[in-house]
Amino acid sequence: MSVNKYRPHVYGLPEDDANRQLANGFLLHPDLLARNIQVLPEVGGWLEVLSHFKSEYAKGMEQYQQRLMVLLIDFDADETRLSYAQACIPPALKNRVFIIGALTRPEGLRAQLGSYETIGKALAKDCRENTNATWGSDLLRHNETELRRLRQHVLPVLFARAPQ
Amino acid sequence: MIRRLYIHNFRCLENFELPLAGHSSVLLVGKNGAGKTTVGLALEILQKIARGTNRIDALVTPKDFARGHSDVPIRFEIEVALEAKVYEYIIAFELPEGFKELRVLQERLAVDGRPVYARDKAQVHLARAGQDQEAKFLIDWHLVALPIVQESSPSDPLFIFKQWLARMLVLRPVPGLISGESEEEQLQPNTQVTDFGAWFSGLLAYSPAVYTRIDGYLRELMPDLKDIKNPIVGKDFRSLTVQFSNQNGTLSVPFEDLSDGEKCFMICAVTLGANEAYGPVVCFWDEPDNYLALSEVGHFVMALRREFESGGQFIATSHNPEAVRRFSEENTFLLVRKSHLEPTTIRPLNQILKGDLVSALVQGDLEP
Repeated sequence: MSVNKYRPHVYGLPEDDANRQLANGFLLHPDLLARNIQVLPEVGGWLEVLSHFKSEYAKGMEQYQQRLMVLLIDFDADETRLSYAQACIPPALKNRVFIIGALTRPEGLRAQLGSYETIGKALAKDCRENTNATWGSDLLRHNETELRRLRQHVLPVLFARAPQ
Repeated sequence: MIRRLYIHNFRCLENFELPLAGHSSVLLVGKNGAGKTTVGLALEILQKIARGTNRIDALVTPKDFARGHSDVPIRFEIEVALEAKVYEYIIAFELPEGFKELRVLQERLAVDGRPVYARDKAQVHLARAGQDQEAKFLIDWHLVALPIVQESSPSDPLFIFKQWLARMLVLRPVPGLISGESEEEQLQPNTQVTDFGAWFSGLLAYSPAVYTRIDGYLRELMPDLKDIKNPIVGKDFRSLTVQFSNQNGTLSVPFEDLSDGEKCFMICAVTLGANEAYGPVVCFWDEPDNYLALSEVGHFVMALRREFESGGQFIATSHNPEAVRRFSEENTFLLVRKSHLEPTTIRPLNQILKGDLVSALVQGDLEP
């Protein structure tokens, strides 16, 4: 079976091909509870992420209360984008939707940190080990607030228990 | 694992090199007829040699020459890193004028650059450890030497290489032909996996603990799975049955009655178990997404990729968007053949594409 809709699960919605590959890297973590996450096809832009969320996924989130969604977007150095995006999320779903991404574009991340998959793996490792080595890099540290929520609500669904 | 695979003058592959170094998993994409499956056929020839097929007409025939170019040898070269040693095996076949069957032109196995044996047509030169002089002997030039040259012990590099190559998985399953019956135990399934029962039996005999892994993977897919039984139903004859149970009762299903997709889940589970039990193995799976529900394809491919991250190598081909999406630009290779009269070319995706691969594949205009 794919994800179990009646148990906590996570949908990842990537903006573009680069974010899809970041997600691939994340999915390769050996401790991931892979059946609890489904990465959806990329939609082609941050506005499309919001548009698809509203038109295709919001209803499903209302129907399935155990569903969490992570929207992977580029911030393009726009300081207002997060608040704009958050304003597009229906109030009843806000606590189950998480919006993260590169400060500029993922190409900048790749130049600093390696291939998208490599970065995705490193982000998953950070999540698993509760570290900040990659999440704390210049182009990702602006996610701090969302990451805090992510660690609290999403990561327990994706990783069984803290490493020894 | 495989660092380099070079194939020349074999079907559509001419001067073809698959750069696998540093990749735990790789996806080959390209149009029908581009040569993806032929890469698997080349690996299958090497695998057959290691499994003991030494008669050349059971490996390659004159129709395998690229576009009938029988004046140029067919050549396979594989370079493999195993247990901190680098193994290089080369075999070339030729068809001299007047011959109906190909013969060996050259064959060589070297470990860390030192030859284990080298062969020129019928003459074999066998290096002998600790001795200055090499041994020489003649062999029928229609026979491959690798299965014949005797290894001295399980720690002999020759044994290590042959066993590794023999256990390579080249999978193109045909679920409708898989019955789950077996008369033997073995660790080397055939390409169509029609001997799944024997593979399952062999794996559990080799490493009973691996059942936990198989069971764990399958229960995530089929929560009502109770267990898999493999009882003796005749003299030296076993038949797999799968038991399901829930609050309504228990149901025992003969393996052959599982759906095609469910049989593929079983094959995937045993592949994961095989890499854990007797890996690292290389697994070439031609279109692993076949027979699967769309919601399962990504999970299926990722389970394999995740397994081989920690050892071994997974090579897949696919036309399925969900499978394609589960690979990335650094581990996706595009194979292109402009016409049936031209050879396959290969390029890493990150050198030719910026943007959405699936969309580019649908449009069919990807060029190397």
